[in-house]
Amino acid sequence: MMQGLYVEGETWIHRLPAGLKLLVLVFAGWGLMWVTHPAWLLLALAAVWMLFWMARVSMRGVWRRMRPLAWFLVLIGLYVAWADGWLVASAAMLRLAALVLLGLLVTLTTPLSAMMDVVTVLLHPLERLGLLRAERVSLAFGMTMRMVPELYIQWNQIREAQAARGLESHPVALIVPMLVRTLKRADDMAEAIDARVDE
Amino acid sequence: MLNKTAPMKTRDLVMVSLLTALIVVLALVPPIPVPLVPVPVTLQTLGVMLAGLVLGPGRAGLAVLLYVAMAMVGLPVLPGGRAGLAVLMGPTGGFLLGMIPGAMLTGWLSRRIRFGLEAPGRQITLNFFACLLGGVALVYAFGIPWLASVTGMGMTKAALAVLVFVPGDMVKALIAATVAYQVARHIEA
Amino acid sequence: MLIEFQSVSFRRDGRPVLSDLTFRLSERRIGIVGPNGSGKSSLARMINGLLSPTSGVVRVNGLDTQTHVKAVRRQVGFVFQHPENQIVLPQVLEDIEFGLKKRLPDVEARKHAAMQALSDLGIPELASRSAYSLSGGEKQLVALAAVLATQPALLVLDEPTTQLDLKNRNRLVHTLATLDQPLIMVSHDLELMKTMDRVLVLDDGRLLRDDEPAAALDWYRSHCG
Repeated sequence: MMQGLYVEGETWIHRLPAGLKLLVLVFAGWGLMWVTHPAWLLLALAAVWMLFWMARVSMRGVWRRMRPLAWFLVLIGLYVAWADGWLVASAAMLRLAALVLLGLLVTLTTPLSAMMDVVTVLLHPLERLGLLRAERVSLAFGMTMRMVPELYIQWNQIREAQAARGLESHPVALIVPMLVRTLKRADDMAEAIDARVDE
Repeated sequence: MLNKTAPMKTRDLVMVSLLTALIVVLALVPPIPVPLVPVPVTLQTLGVMLAGLVLGPGRAGLAVLLYVAMAMVGLPVLPGGRAGLAVLMGPTGGFLLGMIPGAMLTGWLSRRIRFGLEAPGRQITLNFFACLLGGVALVYAFGIPWLASVTGMGMTKAALAVLVFVPGDMVKALIAATVAYQVARHIEA
Repeated sequence: MLIEFQSVSFRRDGRPVLSDLTFRLSERRIGIVGPNGSGKSSLARMINGLLSPTSGVVRVNGLDTQTHVKAVRRQVGFVFQHPENQIVLPQVLEDIEFGLKKRLPDVEARKHAAMQALSDLGIPELASRSAYSLSGGEKQLVALAAVLATQPALLVLDEPTTQLDLKNRNRLVHTLATLDQPLIMVSHDLELMKTMDRVLVLDDGRLLRDDEPAAALDWYRSHCG
């Protein structure tokens, strides 16, 4: 259930180191904030589009995921147009589109494992300072991913049970048992780990 | 809170992971109708507020940080199954990052005064304000400037744009405040 | 294998849970029965040091569970009641490997040991499965495999069959019968308790009967039934 968004591929973009892609993203993000003329932003957007083409990512899948965001962008564009005029609005939309698509491109072309490696590298200085252990961070990621599907099942069970009392849409009636049971799981899991793992 | 001399206990690590998982599930389940709000809303913010109330400042910060990190790394944990850097770069990026200090503030405020379980009115009110200041105000304090700079609209215009979401968030704060109290009572029993 | 309880008492939140328990366990298969709230789960958790006595001493092969917790836990494997909360990582094999990290630092050796644990229980095909997709019975077997992979000298089980349906309960019971390790089992399953070498009856934190199964269970049925 917890599958990353990565789409497999063999292009040069796929093979770029994850850290480099993230750095480019950060600089692009910062840089584009300073560009205000729509013409330049259009160029930037065109460049991102070309990168998408070079990565040979199927646009159909991309469009499906980004559709709600696209509508959101249009809404923002209209608002800015009303507030600050069309020039600013078109700049805003172009900038947003370029940034969002660039971010999406990085996510689509970088496998989960590569991202996790970057996280490990970033955590290294914190580990040297004795603030945390990379192993425990890895465990935290793992435990969360383990429990998301279980909690999803638990949510549906609670909804069903509460539906019998007509409460299937009552936030408090659903979330209280959800939280209580989740906390009980935490107790059980902590015990199970303490019993099994030799630290 | 992270302490150089005391390693995080197993129990703390598990609690953080499980609350993160809860935030993910609340963000992903179909939105349920919330009283007084015309549109069904996602429960993601609710999850963040609950993390703050239940875990306290340090652990809540870690739980939401883990949530954001999972989104950044590409896992579809944001509402609608979205993920990744696209959201961070987009208009709502500031709101997403702001949830981390927001949860911490909520946790810190809700523990300032300890009312017993026999004073529900007062405890829920405290919880409510903790959620409002942390889960709403502080989050918006991060979100609005980001929105303003990434779109090029002024701060006041950006603030006006998100005003429409505030009533819904206030209702979520009340729900979170009530849930946290009832859960505490449950555990005591 | 020798478990000793010497005048063990345990209080939680000011309330007495176990009172003045003294006994020695060395049989191969030991059962513990008692009504809900009798303290039997707490008793089980004292054997691997998850809980510490408020007074008195618990010893496992001469090791005090309070002062030698790590050594005790290396010898005692614990299987809990809710199988889904014992598997802590998303994929079955990686969860079993997790418990072996310190024991087997070499990645290949660890993987091999984990696969072996699954094969020993007849479930090697579950290795690459996602934990959430397993049935309750499969989850309990995986949890058992994870514990057995750490090669404990003794197995303690807290109501291992309570959450299982009949078919899976039988499968687990059959699997347990094939194990070499001595085991101590807390259970409501009186049919299963009949197959033990010795049964302890607990109620209200006190040891009321300690006998061979037929006698102990008869007593239990008449006094707590």
